[in-house]
Amino acid sequence: MSFAKLSVLPLVLLLAACQDITDDLAPSGADERPEVVAGTVGHAVGQLAPDFTLTNTRSESFTLSTELAVSDGVVMYFAMWCPICDSHMSHMRTQVASDFPGVTFLIVDYVSGSITGARAAQISNGYNDLQVLADSEQTVLDRYRATMGTTVVIDRNGVVRMNEDYKDGARLHETLEAMP
Amino acid sequence: MPVLSLYAIGRRDALLCAALALLPLAPAGAASCCGGGSASSLVLPKFSQAMVDVSVDIEQYDGFWNKDGEHVPDPPGSDLNQYRLNLGYAWRLAPRWQASVSVPYVWNRNDYTALTSNTDGLGDMTATMWYEAFDAIQCVWKVRSPKDLMPAAYFGASLTVPTGVSPYDDVENSFDITGRGFYRLDGTMLLEKTIYPWNMGLQLTYGRYLEREVNREYGNYIEPYHKQLGARAQGSVSGGYTHFLESMASVTFTLAYADLWEDEGEIDGRTDPTTGLRKRSLAGTVAYATLDRDWVVKLSLGHALRQDGRGENFPTTDILTLGISHVFR
Repeated sequence: MSFAKLSVLPLVLLLAACQDITDDLAPSGADERPEVVAGTVGHAVGQLAPDFTLTNTRSESFTLSTELAVSDGVVMYFAMWCPICDSHMSHMRTQVASDFPGVTFLIVDYVSGSITGARAAQISNGYNDLQVLADSEQTVLDRYRATMGTTVVIDRNGVVRMNEDYKDGARLHETLEAMP
Repeated sequence: MPVLSLYAIGRRDALLCAALALLPLAPAGAASCCGGGSASSLVLPKFSQAMVDVSVDIEQYDGFWNKDGEHVPDPPGSDLNQYRLNLGYAWRLAPRWQASVSVPYVWNRNDYTALTSNTDGLGDMTATMWYEAFDAIQCVWKVRSPKDLMPAAYFGASLTVPTGVSPYDDVENSFDITGRGFYRLDGTMLLEKTIYPWNMGLQLTYGRYLEREVNREYGNYIEPYHKQLGARAQGSVSGGYTHFLESMASVTFTLAYADLWEDEGEIDGRTDPTTGLRKRSLAGTVAYATLDRDWVVKLSLGHALRQDGRGENFPTTDILTLGISHVFR
């Protein structure tokens, strides 16, 4: 048994040394969202959404502020065409979008690098019926501090109502129902 | 889980993350009951005191299966890879009891037409306790009685510790992910039988993730929620042939087939229909063991079947593994 104890010692030391480079092993569930000043422009919920213009895969220009003038709101899903992205987008299309016909649902492709590339990915993944924006320089991705799976909801007043991972779509549905 | 280029992170997160999350498919050498090390996990040979195992995985992503089981290609111009250095150590606690620890270090290399990402970090560690339900070496050269057909049976309990970088901590984006962020408990039954020169193995594993609270996603604080990943099960079967060299060192060729399931998870108690996965794969391994079986060098290629229906909600990858293990008697 002494051999075993001696064997464990280096492992304990290794874990102790790794404390600063590991994930939080006892994560908190506290609500630590920072307070947001209404009327400021930013990515956080409650802020005014940064305006942008991108080109979609039909080579049409899309400007957020222009779209909000004619739409009940905008939902952006940031995709890199992965399995999770596909699950999320498929769920959003079939379980959420149909309940909110006045809202514009968008997929933002930030990996394909061109309209042609985004179009090819859109078709091969089976999302020809949704509007896909080519964020080739990741400008919108950066402005909204988004990543794979991030779902952003912006109401008709240009206020960010949601900015988080898609998950099961329940929060997206609740957020859209609560929009003015 | 599989585990994790950016594209792969989607994969990674859905999975992956990981290398550790997925049990190895193929034998590392001769059966452990014969003194050659693990058959399909980090298992110490009978009567040995300790073992060190070092391996390198090169995992290349090539499309994925969607929720309907259809195989979908990667975006044009993408090259997604993950490399892992796995350090394993096993030691004997008692004649029938042993323990092991595995620690991976992960490098993610993702090239898309629009961006490139190179990140690295510690993966999720795993600690395992094994019980050996036998006292003598179970490998035989000839079957003379029914007793000679008895396999070596191991029963293991594993704890995966989320030491890897998960989406729920201070990370910038999905490219940084090297772990799933959840504790997991697994129970494993491993059966091995060698009747020289042939060997067979069967491994069945069932695991449950522990629920956790989440208040942060990719560095951004969000409204807290509870999340639990679905139960996971994996079964694998393997068969091999051992060729003895003149020096009585051996070369073992093994083929393995594995099937992995993970049920849908839950968000705040509600089923999350976007989760759950399945993966079917094949692996071939060549292992060289010295005469005394104290050193084993192995080369393994794991291949995910790319046809429709061979997986669901999971990336298709090929994994090349080069490893070496040394047993201390």
